[in-house]
Amino acid sequence: MMPLLEIRNLVVRYGEIEALRGVTIAVEEGQVVTLLGANGAGKSTTLRAISGLAKPASGDILYDGKPIAGLGPEAIVRMGISHVPEGRRVFPGLTVKENIMLGASNRRVATSQLSREADAMFDLFPDIRAFSNALGWTLSGGQLQMVAVARGLMAKPRLLLLDEPSLGLAPVIVQAVFRIISQIRQDTTVLLVEQNARMGLSVADHGFVLETGRIVLGGKPDELWGNEAIAAAYLGGHAKVSA
Amino acid sequence: MDLALQLLFTGIGIGAVYALVALGFVLIFRATNVVNFAQGEFSMVAAYLMVVFAVDLGWPYWLSFLLALAGMALLGVIFNLGVYYPLRHRTFLPVIIATIGASILLANSVLAIYGPQPQVLQGWFETPGIQLGPVYLDSQYLLIIAVTFALVIFNYWFFEKTLLGKKLQATSQDKEMASLLGISVSTMIMITFIYSAVLGGLAGILVAPVLFVSIQMGSTIALKAFAATIIGGFGDVAGAIIGGLALGVIETFGAAYISVPYKDGFAFLVLVAFLIFRPQGIFGERVAEKA
Repeated sequence: MMPLLEIRNLVVRYGEIEALRGVTIAVEEGQVVTLLGANGAGKSTTLRAISGLAKPASGDILYDGKPIAGLGPEAIVRMGISHVPEGRRVFPGLTVKENIMLGASNRRVATSQLSREADAMFDLFPDIRAFSNALGWTLSGGQLQMVAVARGLMAKPRLLLLDEPSLGLAPVIVQAVFRIISQIRQDTTVLLVEQNARMGLSVADHGFVLETGRIVLGGKPDELWGNEAIAAAYLGGHAKVSA
Repeated sequence: MDLALQLLFTGIGIGAVYALVALGFVLIFRATNVVNFAQGEFSMVAAYLMVVFAVDLGWPYWLSFLLALAGMALLGVIFNLGVYYPLRHRTFLPVIIATIGASILLANSVLAIYGPQPQVLQGWFETPGIQLGPVYLDSQYLLIIAVTFALVIFNYWFFEKTLLGKKLQATSQDKEMASLLGISVSTMIMITFIYSAVLGGLAGILVAPVLFVSIQMGSTIALKAFAATIIGGFGDVAGAIIGGLALGVIETFGAAYISVPYKDGFAFLVLVAFLIFRPQGIFGERVAEKA
């Protein structure tokens, strides 16, 4: 079976710096795939290359069998890849509902229909329903993350790219976010970037470990946990943990 | 008291012109992070377009008006493609220099065609004005105030109530995120330039019968409008409108009660005072943009 997303030997440079030095990963339709690695390993750059924010220097990105490397972000999101970037990037001067409605800008939908779809989104994110008319800048980190994911889902993506959804959130909020990810996976393929390896792998079918721009390991979550060197370096110290 | 009321009316009328140009400044600044130094030239070019259609060709005013606005929309497109678009990935400095260059080009192109002597454009109405109690309401000033008032309402409706307005706001707040959602950032910026060129053009067309139509009218209006945006709080839409109106009133009162030759000076005196004592302007910097 052809993977939904296939990346081969992807190289991305920022000026002189080579952020990705030949990354190869595959994401099967219906999976949650987690990309692990330390700060600066190239996790976010990988997502930025897929969504068109970073231009690859070489290598291929195939989505549904079609090459998308080098296309702009507007074209890529119309093909069904939605990117929830790091830092949430909720529009500060727009309300929660307006932010969510704009998530469907890749589709042609009447405004009244958009409004209904945004309201329906609050069923998945009940915690932000009460803040529907609050401006983006007034929200807490957890609320911003919920809005960002809800906005990303409004694109009705086949592939959702999630960058560090747990960053800076209290543990109870992190659990709420991951509960949502496990609900999303029923109809959407997810490529998740996480520093929090425990949470990241808990929802994953497959994981990859990135180190200074290269994939050093890939496998099922329990295989990754089983690799002691990797567990020590990336997955939270020497303590043996079961997935 | 009667004089004060009369001055207030005139001041709001001229202030409304500053407000329209200031609004153009603010909208382009918010969308591109660049001050468009050719904004005043939009007003000048539109006034000359009116001279071309209504005076030189003798076409009816309403037709000339529509054609002049269409010409401004076209100028907005050309300006966006020729001045902003090629430099959009650069820092703000090359873009600002380019807008200054465009301003010089526009002014000198008109100079080459019409020469330095000012042109005269008649007012819109047969009746010069109406007497309302102690105040004489000049019909052209009434028109300026009415059009500005309508535009302020339109502007609010457009940016706050329409999806396109929300997309424009999103683009001005975070272009990269807007593009990730599938919003065409270059289209949004194009719309902003067209809208700002039309706003500046409207200001020039409306004020032309009050002033002379001259090459310098653009820079005079732009300097006042720029002062208005700083007084109102740079980047703030409501601030630009309030700042423009306030500036018109201040300079009209200053001219009447203190000194006519220093009329233009009052605007800049207020500007300097604001820069020293309240550089964030009346409305301050919006928290929304800092978050």
